[in-house]
Amino acid sequence: MNDFPELENELKALRPARPSPVLFERIEEAMAENCRASVSDTGLMAKWFRRFAETPYRFGIGLAAAAAAVVLLLARINTDQTRNEDKEIAQVSATDEVRPVLPAVSGESGVDGSTSSNKFVPAGATQVVYNTRNEGLQFADGSRQPLRRLRYQTRQTWQWRNPSTGASLRVSYPSEEVVLIPVSGQ
Amino acid sequence: MDNIASHENWKNCFSELAPGLLLFARQWTRSAADAEDIVQEAFVKFWRRNHQINNRALLYATVRSIALDFIRRDKRRARREATVFADADPTVEPQFEWEDEAKSALAAAVSCLPHDQREVLVLKIWNELTFSEIAGALGISQNTAASRYRYALANLKKSLQPQ
Repeated sequence: MNDFPELENELKALRPARPSPVLFERIEEAMAENCRASVSDTGLMAKWFRRFAETPYRFGIGLAAAAAAVVLLLARINTDQTRNEDKEIAQVSATDEVRPVLPAVSGESGVDGSTSSNKFVPAGATQVVYNTRNEGLQFADGSRQPLRRLRYQTRQTWQWRNPSTGASLRVSYPSEEVVLIPVSGQ
Repeated sequence: MDNIASHENWKNCFSELAPGLLLFARQWTRSAADAEDIVQEAFVKFWRRNHQINNRALLYATVRSIALDFIRRDKRRARREATVFADADPTVEPQFEWEDEAKSALAAAVSCLPHDQREVLVLKIWNELTFSEIAGALGISQNTAASRYRYALANLKKSLQPQ
C-alpha cells in the first residue's frame, strides 16, 4: 500500500492555501442569518414538525398520536350518548329545572348553592400559533442592546366539561403576542 | 473532535478543516473565491443539519455536491468567459503555500493529475480521510479509492522523474 513514503511526505509538506479572513466573517453572518430565518420564517410549529419528521421514532410517535385520537373519538361518542340519555330524562321530568350554563367559579354564590352535578371542570386548553412575523430590531429605552421583535398570532381555545351531564362549553378567541428577544453578537 | 453541531465555537472546527476543504473545492473551480463560496455553503448546510463532525465523509460529499451544482449553474457563464478569455493566458491562482520554489514542480504535478485521482489524493493527503471515508464521500468502493490513490502517486512519481 505504502510504496511511496517519501513522495507522501513531500506532498504533506505542501500546505494548502489558507482561506481568506473574510470567509470566516461571511460564514458567521450566514450562521446568524440562518438562526434568524429559522425563527422568523418557519415559526415554532414548523420547527417542531421538522424535528418530528427527523426523529427516528416518528412512526412510533405517529402511532401513539393515532391511538390517542381514536381514544378521544370514542370518548366523544360516549359523551354524546350520555347527553342524549340526559335529554330523555329531562323530558320525563315533571318540574322545570334551571341549571347554570356558564363555568363555575369557586366562591360565587350561584355555584356554592348548586349541586355537584352542575359543576363544569376545565377539560382542555390549546394555543395554536398560526403566524409568526419578524418585525426587526429595536432598542428599548435606555438600553444599548438591540432587541428582536417577534409577533405571534395565535388562537386560544378553552374547554370546560360537566362530568355528570356530559355538557361542554368551549370558548375560542384569537390573540396576539409580542416577544422581544435580546440579540447579542458573537 | 466533538460533535460539530454541539460545538459552540465553530470557528475552531472550521479553521482546522478549512484549508483542506478549500483545496478539495478548488478542483471544480478556477478561482479561490468560487471555492470559498462553495465551502461556505457546504459548511453552513452541514452545521445547520446538526451532523456529527466524525461523519467527515458526509461533509466532503456535501462540498462535492454543491461544487457540482455550482458547475452546472455556471456552465453558461463559464462558456461566456471561455470565449472572452480564449486568447488570454489562463491565470490559475496557487492552491498551495510553499517557501521553497522547488515545491512548485510538485504542486504543478498535482494539478496535472487526472481528476478522479486528484480528488482521492487531496482527500487522503491534505484532509487525512481514510479510504473508507473517501469511498463514502465520492460514492465509490474502498478498493477503487485505494487504487486511484496508488495510481495518483505513481503518476506523480513518473512526472517528477528527470526526463
